[in-house]
Amino acid sequence: MSPTVQSETAAVSGHDALPHDVQQVLHQAIRLEWITIGVMVVTIAAVGLVTGQSQAMKAAWAEDMLTLLPPLAFLIAARRLRKAPDRDHPYGHHRSIGVAHLVAALALLAMGTFLVVDSVMSLVKVEKPPIGTMALFGHAVWAGWPMIIVMALSGIAPVILGRKKLPLAEKLHDKVLFADADMNKADWTTAIATIVGVLGIGFGLWWFDAAAALVVSISILRDGFKNLRAAIGGLTDTRARTVDDKEPHPLTRDVETRALATPWVAQAVGRVRDEGHVFHVEMFVVPRHGKAPSLDQLVQLRTALLDLDWRLHDVVIAPVPAIPQIPARD
Amino acid sequence: MLVSAHHIVRAAAASVAAALLVSGCSGPFPADSQGSLAHATGGTISVGATTNPPWTEISPDGAVTGVEADLVTDYAESIDAEITWVPGSESVLADRMKDGELDIMIGGLTSKAPWTDKVALTRPYTTVRGEDGTTEKMVMGVRPGENALMVSLETFLDDQDAER
Repeated sequence: MSPTVQSETAAVSGHDALPHDVQQVLHQAIRLEWITIGVMVVTIAAVGLVTGQSQAMKAAWAEDMLTLLPPLAFLIAARRLRKAPDRDHPYGHHRSIGVAHLVAALALLAMGTFLVVDSVMSLVKVEKPPIGTMALFGHAVWAGWPMIIVMALSGIAPVILGRKKLPLAEKLHDKVLFADADMNKADWTTAIATIVGVLGIGFGLWWFDAAAALVVSISILRDGFKNLRAAIGGLTDTRARTVDDKEPHPLTRDVETRALATPWVAQAVGRVRDEGHVFHVEMFVVPRHGKAPSLDQLVQLRTALLDLDWRLHDVVIAPVPAIPQIPARD
Repeated sequence: MLVSAHHIVRAAAASVAAALLVSGCSGPFPADSQGSLAHATGGTISVGATTNPPWTEISPDGAVTGVEADLVTDYAESIDAEITWVPGSESVLADRMKDGELDIMIGGLTSKAPWTDKVALTRPYTTVRGEDGTTEKMVMGVRPGENALMVSLETFLDDQDAER
């Protein structure tokens, strides 16, 4: 499709915005997220059965339930994404990723805060967790053992799923999927902290449990903060960053370099924002000798930029007489 | 994700090792945080009792009888402990449990008892049908954090149930 026949709405959107192989990745990610939800539901049920009155187990249980949020947010956003742009949604529906990200981050933050307060309170109030016996196949066994076994098992699947999702998140440039994969990958640390807490109770060290719960809840809180920053950054149109938010996305430089390589362009500065999966580029160009470019030249430049990468989805070229200096931060 | 995974593994290993050292690798597992069971075995055990027939009855001379009183007496005998009875209302006894002055608390407590922040409730040792037709799960109270005592009492109650 040549750019000249595209409407003023954001080119094509929905799944059409993604090339075939990227769509393939998206489908894979959707399937993995459904598997994650299935695994987590089983885990939540199993942990719920053995939780008892251990503070650490309660925190781990809450974390397991929270683990459902990012996959749900991802699946809802992926569904929303199918819609094409229209007169009322000229930019398409890519931003639903950002909204999903924000909702998931806020939930993590709220739950993390609650659990930190709860764990500290049980330390301050010297609440000693009782773990008695459990009737298992007609035998009375110390209830701590089933807890430890369930926690050990619950840490395995998320790590595998997280490792599988991480490369997909990078290919898709999907920050919700990335946050989800990152949380999954770290899930075993929760399992170990909880097991240490329960073993501590077994050795008669009651505060081990609340301390382990504190470790787990601080990790939830940190996840919340990290994701909230990233989500707000995306929604407030900061410069597009890599999927792990560590640095500005290389494409933000590549578009400018490509524009500058055009013979009639003297100066080029781009504004690149992350719409979720895809980028929106506003490229301001100063023509050489103040000579206005022809329509053909503009269309050629736009096509050249679009061809750089599938992520560059929506490109606007604005010829201007001069570009004001914008202070650079990184 | 807290600190690095590496740190967590190290901290975990260190804490388990420390726990093993503290507990001296001996004694029961799970262990009591204050050693109630060890103190009671061959010694004395403090039992709080609230009047609640047929589970617990306290006669004017201070003698405690009833289904649960008999069970606790048998349990104390099994670990060679002498019982010090402490009569009182549930709320008063619950506070004293929290303060560590009592080891066990009886008086027809059910699994729905509201004292779980002060008292550790045992696994139900029997189920009865109440006057209004609802089933009640009968439990006893144990000093919180004393998990060796709790496991010991629960195991005893299990065995009694099996004998009946």
